[in-house]
Amino acid sequence: METYKLTVNGQPKEVAVDPGTPLLWVLREELKMTGTKYGCGIAACGACTVHVAGIATRSCVVPVSLVGDRPVVTIEGIGQDPVGRAVQDAWVSEDVVQCGYCQSGQIMGAVALLKSTPKPTDTNIEESMGGNICRCGTYVRIRQAIKSASQQLKSGGAS
Amino acid sequence: MPLPGYIGPVLSASHAFGCDRDAGKALNSPGFKIVGYCLRQARNANRKRFTMCSHRAMLRLFFTILVACAGWSVTPLLASGQSVSRKETATPATREAGLVAWQQVYSVLTHPRCINCHTATNYPQQGDDRHRHVVNVVRGPGGKGVPGLNCTTCHQGANADNTGVPGGHDWHLAPLSMKWQDLNDKILSSAEICRSLIDRSKNHNLDGSGLLKHHEEEPLVLWAFQPGRRRDGTPRSLPQLTHDEFVAATRTWVEAGTPCPQNP
Repeated sequence: METYKLTVNGQPKEVAVDPGTPLLWVLREELKMTGTKYGCGIAACGACTVHVAGIATRSCVVPVSLVGDRPVVTIEGIGQDPVGRAVQDAWVSEDVVQCGYCQSGQIMGAVALLKSTPKPTDTNIEESMGGNICRCGTYVRIRQAIKSASQQLKSGGAS
Repeated sequence: MPLPGYIGPVLSASHAFGCDRDAGKALNSPGFKIVGYCLRQARNANRKRFTMCSHRAMLRLFFTILVACAGWSVTPLLASGQSVSRKETATPATREAGLVAWQQVYSVLTHPRCINCHTATNYPQQGDDRHRHVVNVVRGPGGKGVPGLNCTTCHQGANADNTGVPGGHDWHLAPLSMKWQDLNDKILSSAEICRSLIDRSKNHNLDGSGLLKHHEEEPLVLWAFQPGRRRDGTPRSLPQLTHDEFVAATRTWVEAGTPCPQNP
């Protein structure tokens, strides 16, 4: 067991865990932040996506020992960001969610895309979101919501 | 173009005495002009009825012509910038050793740990069977994936052996200029990769010493020799050489002038 100091959603956190513990388990089991989901456990579905230093990251395969001092943002904190807020609003207005299990990862992926590509094409969306799997097949609505958020951000409508 | 590290020609006996060979091509060469000058001097001397045709004078003229022919032999090669054939290089054994060393280097470069990220396509490969990377990972404009699905979305700064995800500093694909496969994922030949590797328009302008340094120090090169464990806990396969052996082979190849095999 070792002690790790993390910054999660702007808040300092300290956990004592094995160095190989995946960040996902630290978030869910140690910090009780269960918005980030366990899907496949092998970085193949994207349900566990969080941001580490602004990069969409599969938290299920990242040992906490490799996080270092990079800030972590989860679905619980993404709404504090204007782009994150716009994406969450679009998700609601487009009624994207069906079962919802993958959607925290989908939103984290969409925010990462829009932060670097404010006006994404269909190809941009397909390439960036290709690693986020939705068993309910909400892909058409996800794409529409991303475009809607893009439009909202362009018009300065994000709160 | 001469190969990097090319030392230069050493005259062979056939060159030194091959004055009549391809003489027509050498009419304007400096060597030919020297011969012509010598002959004109001899004719002038004859017209002035000087009694210079003694045995000693003829001998001097002969050696003058001999030196001029030697100069003519090498001048076209130097002027054209072409390298000479292997038997005329300074140290044929060094070139041979360089080619042997290159084959060792080639065996490493084409190992899956290396070549999986030297693709010609818009995606990396995985595993010893070099299958397409899962979850539709794409190259992206900088070879680092795309926003939302970057290489570093999974690959961190070090191997994550407990989850089976390899990692190293600045994980990324090699640029397309350094592709070592064709679009059908077939590995390029030894000669093709060799020529590509020493092409400074493709390799970030690295000369021989730069290539050696790259093989000695680049974190992702180092990773190939310590690739960590697979998801099932078994170690990933390694190149045939250790890193020290790889660097030594690269050094031998560089010191030999980075020779490349003939086609294919």
